[in-house]
Amino acid sequence: MEVFAKIAFGIYLLLTIGGGLMAVLSRSLIRALLGLIFSLFGVAGFYFLLAAPFIALMQILIYIGAVSILIFLAIMLTRAAVGGEESEKRPARQFLLALMTGFIPAVILATIIKVYPLPSESVPVEVSLSSLGKVLVGPYVLAFEFISVVLVVAMVGAVLLAFERKKAR
Amino acid sequence: MNVLSAYQIVAVALLGLGLFGLIFRRTLVGMLISVELMLSGAGLSVVAASQLTPASAELGQIATLIIMGLAAAEATLVLAIIVVVSRRYRATESDLVSLLKG
Repeated sequence: MEVFAKIAFGIYLLLTIGGGLMAVLSRSLIRALLGLIFSLFGVAGFYFLLAAPFIALMQILIYIGAVSILIFLAIMLTRAAVGGEESEKRPARQFLLALMTGFIPAVILATIIKVYPLPSESVPVEVSLSSLGKVLVGPYVLAFEFISVVLVVAMVGAVLLAFERKKAR
Repeated sequence: MNVLSAYQIVAVALLGLGLFGLIFRRTLVGMLISVELMLSGAGLSVVAASQLTPASAELGQIATLIIMGLAAAEATLVLAIIVVVSRRYRATESDLVSLLKG
């Protein structure tokens, strides 16, 4: 079983990091979105490996089902796909600066994780779905209600912002 | 390297990729994609930390669910902002959308 877990970890790692690289580096925004979807599927696989299948399914449902479609709509509505603004060549200096911005915090954090590792169990805890639900409607019911309020406000705000007035100002 | 560190390193790699993309991308949609990468890395880190340590596993999973809800709300709002910006400026590059005072 241990070997299978390692192989699965490798596959998901490849999917996550490869997809992430495709998402930030590809010239066309549609390809970048495809890379994001690969990466999110890889993270869903990690959730399955961590014995959190509900979170994995929610990852697929919310991120891949809803957020990716939203981003696709954003690309479509702004007509940015064909020969998009990302397609022209970038100066190497910009690339280097962006690389430094991304990798200096990542290297610092990775060093901290490597030098001071937390004690870890090798087998993840399994939590049943019903106990998860009990915590969600028990002590954390306020957070649960507020996230729905935040979602409603965001939807209403989005409709208000994007609503096109017929009359000219 | 123990199991938790491996997951945390993956999450940090996602954070680094997202930060890199946020600076490197020139369009607003590309920046939104990078932010989603960072948020999924955050979720992975929280779930790994709660599932592999004696901390409450339910709490970590709920925190990740709430991160996902916030990511969905944020993506909705950013989509609306991108639509408004593209209608007003006829562009979605962050270089061109730099006019603060009309």
